[in-house]
Amino acid sequence: MKNFLLLFLFLFVWNINAQELPNITLKSLDGKSVTTQEISNSENLKVLSFWATWCVPCINELDAISEVYEKWQDETNVEIIAISTDDSRTRQRVKPLVNGKGWDYQVLIDENQDLKRALNITTLPHVVIIKNGEIVYRHSGYTPGGEDELFDVILEHSK
Amino acid sequence: MKKLIILLAFCLSGQILSAQLVDNLTIGLESNGAWYNDDKKTGSFYDDENQDGDEHIRFNNYLKLDYRFLNNFTASVQLESYEPFALINYSPNYEGTNLGTYSLNYKNSKLDITAGHFYSQFGSGLILRNWEDRQLGINNALLGGKVVYTPVNYVSLTALYGKHRVGFDTSEGEIFGFDSEIDFSSILNFETSALNLGLSYVGRKEATEVVDPEFDELTNAFSGRLDFSSANFYSSVEYVTKGDDALVQIINGNNVFPEDFIKSGNALLVNAGYSKSGFGLDATFRRLENMSFYSDRNTAGNVYFENIVNYVPALTKQHDYLLTNIFVYQPQGVVNFIYDAQIFKVGEIGGQLDLYYKIKKDTPLGGKYGTKVAINASYWAGLKGDISTDFANPDYDMDFFGFGTKYFSDLSLEVRKKWNPKLNSIFYYVNQYANQKEILSIFSAETIKTNIAVAETTYKLGKGKSIRLEAQKMWSNSDDHDWIGGTLEYNFNSKFSIYVNDIYNDGTDKDTEKTHYYNLGGSFTKGATRLGLNYGRQRAGLVCVGGVCRFVPEATGLTVNLSMSF
Repeated sequence: MKNFLLLFLFLFVWNINAQELPNITLKSLDGKSVTTQEISNSENLKVLSFWATWCVPCINELDAISEVYEKWQDETNVEIIAISTDDSRTRQRVKPLVNGKGWDYQVLIDENQDLKRALNITTLPHVVIIKNGEIVYRHSGYTPGGEDELFDVILEHSK
Repeated sequence: MKKLIILLAFCLSGQILSAQLVDNLTIGLESNGAWYNDDKKTGSFYDDENQDGDEHIRFNNYLKLDYRFLNNFTASVQLESYEPFALINYSPNYEGTNLGTYSLNYKNSKLDITAGHFYSQFGSGLILRNWEDRQLGINNALLGGKVVYTPVNYVSLTALYGKHRVGFDTSEGEIFGFDSEIDFSSILNFETSALNLGLSYVGRKEATEVVDPEFDELTNAFSGRLDFSSANFYSSVEYVTKGDDALVQIINGNNVFPEDFIKSGNALLVNAGYSKSGFGLDATFRRLENMSFYSDRNTAGNVYFENIVNYVPALTKQHDYLLTNIFVYQPQGVVNFIYDAQIFKVGEIGGQLDLYYKIKKDTPLGGKYGTKVAINASYWAGLKGDISTDFANPDYDMDFFGFGTKYFSDLSLEVRKKWNPKLNSIFYYVNQYANQKEILSIFSAETIKTNIAVAETTYKLGKGKSIRLEAQKMWSNSDDHDWIGGTLEYNFNSKFSIYVNDIYNDGTDKDTEKTHYYNLGGSFTKGATRLGLNYGRQRAGLVCVGGVCRFVPEATGLTVNLSMSF
């Protein structure tokens, strides 16, 4: 136990550099394989938003961004990719929910949570911003208005 | 073990000198602790799993390290510590501090090879799934080897072998698996349609102590699945068949293998839907018969989800509010004959329907911002057929499309409404029917019918500040259950939040009557680091994460959750 506490302290003071996105295969809504490498290979800023159909704050966040997404894209060319971590209990709800809500995002499925595990994501929602294949920002949780703060970070990195 | 951690810390600090090395290291840390109190109202603290009432402060810690090297290799280890005991209701197999999982992976564009622990899933998981859920204490990773070969981008082949992780040990039984996925739409150059085929095999081999068994050590399961989508329409069908195997029955607390009670099992899952912008409709049908599948036969039906080969979630809506999760459906895919309670279950049949609709802006119901509606309905019943309830000679023969005793139904309606840029509300209504005698296998349990209403409102105060208020009420046909609840949440900004909630039963249920199940707490988030604190009284009941629900006992105390990622 004491060692674990020491480790926590040690990790707190450790200043971490930018990391690459791990190479994991995801599925598109029509069953095609998409690798995270394909996502990283782009000059545009990508925001990966990890969510699930049963996670209320996740839906709130994606609903809120959906209302300002057009404006965001006009100003920054940012692309939001909504990564569903739903497993087979709820996966069938992803497609009708996304369309029913009229979300305009690319949606990928991380059905057995391989990418979520590789990125050590323990709570949803969780956003990861990728620039030139590297992770430049992460944030977990969503509170109303959090989308404005996220956009400030996007603006900062899209310069 | 201690030395190992010190060594690890030492190695890590050495690496700080070289940023290049640090760049390739990913670290995840999670610590969940609890300080359990004796509760005047609900009794003093006692941990049934470890038969302990003294260790009130406990921690479950997880440290995961992934190190990438030579472009294609990743080495991973996960250290776990459950000190002095695991949190209550975790399997007693999680004991002490040890290496939980370790693996070495090589990956290029065609090959993905893993030695050590790995997680895999074939199709929807109905035939095979390995996953981790720390909140529920599930980790059924396989320890062995896995090869995924993708010769061309439309074909993927997987072969695997391993034993299940059970605590810090492994299962006796061995698992063999083979899976193939073919994307026909790429081969046939479909432009707007998709067609995928999957075929799988899973074998489980376990020696048995039964003398002259009439079943084989190796049980074979096969599955086929087809996914088709075209424009706005999509559909999928999956069928699993499991070969003859002994049916383990629990009689007087002991596992018994009744002679000649050897049966095969099967599962059918069909899903279809139609969706376009502003509208989504989805329908699912599933039938399960004897789909219990464990690496060690003796562990069939264990409450910790250890040794589990396949994933059979409840196909009902997972609700988000406290009162909507009091009566929860548990899938009934296994053969369970309980003679003294006169309960004879062989499987389940049923389905669910989901509808999502967005009422357009500037219409009478849509208002200025549009209104979002979601409806879910589900119905589950036992299988219909002939059951021989003779204790000496149990047997059954079920119809393929017959509905037997009703187990559960659930109808829910959600309306989301934005009033103005600062104010929005959610209205939620649920009607449930739960045949508790069959679902919980308790003879005296009554059938509960409930109506639950929830209203929540969020008001943005500007500069990231917001307040959320939630009120819940449950009416039921039973004098035992008459619940009321509420939540108040205040967000200072995107980093810091506090909340308080309470549910209270005004009914006469002897376990919960006149007791406030209150919680208050807060969380602090910065980047990928999150710290949560909660003090309160936990109601005994099912805690559900993803598709799995586990029973947790009543407990009162302080919990702390810390997670970090680098």
